[in-house]
Amino acid sequence: MQQREEKLLDASVESLISRVAHLKNALHSFIYKLENEYERLTWPSVLDNFALLSGQLNTINKLLRNEKTPSFRQQIIIPLLLSPDRDEELAKLTEQRVPVFSHEIVPDHLRTKPDPEVEEQEKQLSAEAARIGTEVAQKQIQTLNKLCSNLLEKLNNPRDDRDADSAAIRQNKPSFNPADTNALVAAVGFGKGLSKCRPPGPVAPGHTGQGPMMSGGPTLQQVTIGGGSGQQQGMGPGAPQQQGQPGKMPCNIKTNIKAASSMHPYNR
Amino acid sequence: MEAPPVSVLPITGGTINMMEYLLQGSVLDQALESLLHRLRGLCDNMEPETFADHELVYLLKGQQGNPFLLRARRSLSHPTVPWHLRYLGQPEVGDKSRHALVRNCVDVAASHSLPDFLNEMGFRMDHEFVAKGHIFRRGVLKVVVSKLSRILVPGNTENTEPLSLSYLVELSVLAPAGQDTMSEDMRSFAEQLKPLVHLEKIDPKRHM
Repeated sequence: MQQREEKLLDASVESLISRVAHLKNALHSFIYKLENEYERLTWPSVLDNFALLSGQLNTINKLLRNEKTPSFRQQIIIPLLLSPDRDEELAKLTEQRVPVFSHEIVPDHLRTKPDPEVEEQEKQLSAEAARIGTEVAQKQIQTLNKLCSNLLEKLNNPRDDRDADSAAIRQNKPSFNPADTNALVAAVGFGKGLSKCRPPGPVAPGHTGQGPMMSGGPTLQQVTIGGGSGQQQGMGPGAPQQQGQPGKMPCNIKTNIKAASSMHPYNR
Repeated sequence: MEAPPVSVLPITGGTINMMEYLLQGSVLDQALESLLHRLRGLCDNMEPETFADHELVYLLKGQQGNPFLLRARRSLSHPTVPWHLRYLGQPEVGDKSRHALVRNCVDVAASHSLPDFLNEMGFRMDHEFVAKGHIFRRGVLKVVVSKLSRILVPGNTENTEPLSLSYLVELSVLAPAGQDTMSEDMRSFAEQLKPLVHLEKIDPKRHM
């Protein structure tokens, strides 16, 4: 009977040790990653690490809750020998973390109660909880539960009417006008609506009444102008003047215009 | 307008055939602020750049039907900066699935005697307008948000009236011919600007 229990205890302690070792390794690699590769770390991989740790803690919990596991609470650990000397075996076992089994490490490693500060805080919290009374506490619990469930519902069910509302709002305020798009593109593309056909009204009508102007200089007559169009040429000192009417005007000036060659003379 | 794109390929006599990929849309004046905020977030981090340009479009009428079009642009905010002369070809009728308008594009800088020179060559100014707005960049993508204004008295860029109550939004990329991967990037960027602006391939011939 005793032996069986001892064997059971040994086995469960072994498995507990291995699980805790896994957890320790996971923590170790996570801390390393956080310290050295924090520039490259992404939030999803941090979450993955946390998930791994949580999974390992869960298995440890399951192990402890297992019926086959004897209750560890009934076991007592008593340090038999405390010495300030360095113990090589212990150092090797704990990977140089606990080199000396002395008075300093016993309170930390063999602790069964929480730290005094933590104990103080816990006492305060329980006193607070007792003070407000059970009904108030119940009501607070219910409110919290309701809030959480509301939030969960909103997050889990994207409601279609919510989308319809926002879509309706967007439709009420259109941010572009397709007719304007077409007008602007036409204006930039080939000057529709710009000064080609002068818009009536704001433009001085004097322009359309402009008579034909003398072509500037004899040199122009010898330049091969393709097709001999009837358009007049005006050389103003400032911006070039333009005829008001679109299309050809009857040619009042007898100029010597040669037929154009297909290649413009200034082409390379 | 900003200086024409610098090409790192050596010019060995021939010209580098640059194509312009273009998507256009517009945004109403009241939605301009939100569009600018969004662009500031999406595009490269730089000081918001505004511009004020005066563009003159010159036509050379040939014997054949199609006139030859050249666009001369000068900056109103930086009067000493050289003029920018640009030729845009006809939109390429490639496969319909290409998302952006593709056309041949040649850009050169020119001195301030450009209008006189073009007149001497035989070009006639067809129309002119003033464009004022903002320019954003994201890698090679260029987004220009501009307000087009009609010039009431030719040559007088102070006296202008806006063409419409919207701003023109253009997304363009200049790339050597043959690179078709641009249109995909442009389309995904355009997706991010919806529903504020619908950037799409608009064929200017349709609105003739």
